Amino acid sequence: MNKTITGALAVALGFVVMVPAAIANPEQTANGAQSPAAVMAAQTCGGCHGTMGQVKDNAFMPLAGMPTSQFVLAMKSFANGSRPSTLMGPLAASFSDAEIQAMAEYFAAIPKFQHEANK
Amino acid sequence: MSTMNRRNFLKFTTAAAAATPFLAGKSAFAADEKHIVVIGGGVGGATFAKYMRLYAPEVKVTVIERKKEYQRPYGSSEIIVGNVDMNDITISYDALQKKHGVNFVFDTVTGVDFDKREVSTENGTKITYDRLVVAPGISFDYSGIAGMDTEAAQQAIVHGWDAGDQLLTLQKQLEAVPVDGTVVVVPPPNPYRCPPGPYERAGLITQWLINRGDKNAKVIILDPKNGFTTDVTMLQAWNRLYGFNLPKAFEKNYKPEQVATFTKHETPGKIQWVMAEEGGRVVKVDVAAKTVEAEAGVFKADMINIIPPLKAGKIALDLGLADKSGWCPVDQKTFESTLHPLVHVIGDACIAGEMPKSGYSANSQAKVVALQIKALLAGQPTIEPVLQNTCYALAGQSDYGMFVADVFRLKDGKLKRADQPRYLPFNASTAQYRLSAVYLHAWMDSFTQDIFS
Ligand SMILES: Cc1cc2nc3c(=O)[nH]c(=O)nc-3n(C[C@H](O)[C@H](O)[C@H](O)COP(=O)(O)OP(=O)(O)OC[C@H]3O[C@@H](n4cnc5c(N)ncnc54)[C@H](O)[C@@H]3O)c2cc1C
Repeated sequence: MNKTITGALAVALGFVVMVPAAIANPEQTANGAQSPAAVMAAQTCGGCHGTMGQVKDNAFMPLAGMPTSQFVLAMKSFANGSRPSTLMGPLAASFSDAEIQAMAEYFAAIPKFQHEANK
Repeated sequence: MSTMNRRNFLKFTTAAAAATPFLAGKSAFAADEKHIVVIGGGVGGATFAKYMRLYAPEVKVTVIERKKEYQRPYGSSEIIVGNVDMNDITISYDALQKKHGVNFVFDTVTGVDFDKREVSTENGTKITYDRLVVAPGISFDYSGIAGMDTEAAQQAIVHGWDAGDQLLTLQKQLEAVPVDGTVVVVPPPNPYRCPPGPYERAGLITQWLINRGDKNAKVIILDPKNGFTTDVTMLQAWNRLYGFNLPKAFEKNYKPEQVATFTKHETPGKIQWVMAEEGGRVVKVDVAAKTVEAEAGVFKADMINIIPPLKAGKIALDLGLADKSGWCPVDQKTFESTLHPLVHVIGDACIAGEMPKSGYSANSQAKVVALQIKALLAGQPTIEPVLQNTCYALAGQSDYGMFVADVFRLKDGKLKRADQPRYLPFNASTAQYRLSAVYLHAWMDSFTQDIFS
């Protein structure tokens, strides 16, 4: 077997699960409207707080849909130590005010994760 | 489109595609669509594929991965001590395919023609790309340890550093350690995957032996280094939990008043760390006799776990993407290889300035590269990167956690960590150790969600 496959052909040959390239889902729509710098800063949170801050059923706080003022206050109180934490203190202190504001606006624009049972 | 509609739509297109594959294929992907091919569906490759599709749904992404399911290395030492089983660390690629529209080819990549921009696989498939992302993880280099250079030796003394059945081998070997036996753990030299990992594993094994009821079992770490990530937190924990005595040569890493708070244990502790300065460097292993010869002397063990020096995954070496160090040099803003254009290397295999080789780093790099590739494909300027790493570790006991956490930015062409504390403070509160352990366990799940669901 020796064949040359481009993306479309790979699909046609059934190598892959068929899904059209552009599925309009809410996560994608939300990201399209965001500034690249905001998306860049906000991606750093996803490894704990879930993709777009939509972590499910977990000890970490979901960030999606959090009001901007709440996010900014939390980050600043972590950074200045007035709110106790494990690692959020030093992490929050590593971001500039502008980055914190951009992240806050990013997460505020993402729909909250809806639990299946609550739909 | 609502979630409900999307689900129906997906069902419909999947069914339609199965019935008339050619039509579906044509309508799905227009000829001018860009195609990104990814080698390796681990933390780096899978995160990249998902986020590329989220950030730029118009881009086609194909992952070539040799295994049908992923076994996560992060958190995998807990298999050895029976805290979790293989099912807990095995992850399906279904959501990436069905929910995110990532194409998967389950095959092993054997070559790349960089001029033709074409990847070839073991089964003879050839796939062309507009840009290639390489995330093959690590390979192991036994050449520097006398006695470990044969296949038989490497099957008897395993690393268990890349998930897989070796974890079960280590589990069996641990169960076979006689009461009050000795376990030797040998961490690799820098740089390597998961800097706190070998020490966490030594702690987990110590705790397991204690839980079994052993009064005089011993875990000895023979180290080619004089320190490790999280060392100041970890050594204090061991002093509290396992009768560990601080090596004299390490005292300079604490303030004198901090050293004074360490208990001086009369009987040598259950866990012992022989740092390089005190002769920890291993020179020879006798597999049959179960002895490890270090500069400090010969250690007889009932179980030996050696994590040898590491290099970039074999395919990265074969493709000429690595330099003399065995790791892949990349532009620090875009992770594009400095040796081959249009090829980006992410995860453990790449050289990323001060970023450690960790799952969190691979995940953050993958998202950055997705954003940069999106910009590059659109002919827009690349973006100033911000990256993060968080590695949690246990002291041994399941409720005593710690971490290292850093934010990284580009400074003078290199990724440098922000100048902030990275560990828990010395003498943190009990709540902080406990919470770190809670978050460690939560992270295994939230992190897996972010990559694979
Ligand atoms: C014991 C242990 C504990 C850890 N704990 C943590 C932790 O707490 N936090 C953390 O952040 N990180 C942790 N890590 C590290 C983390 O698992 C790795 O850094 C991460 O997996 C690296 O991702 P990667 O994509 O570079 O490589 P991998 O995840 O190894 O993925 C590489 C993939 O490429 C595939 N592949 C390789 N070659 C080919 C080829 N030729 N063709 C097709 N496919 C190929 C492989 O099958 C594999 O699926 C831990 C690691 C270990 C061993």
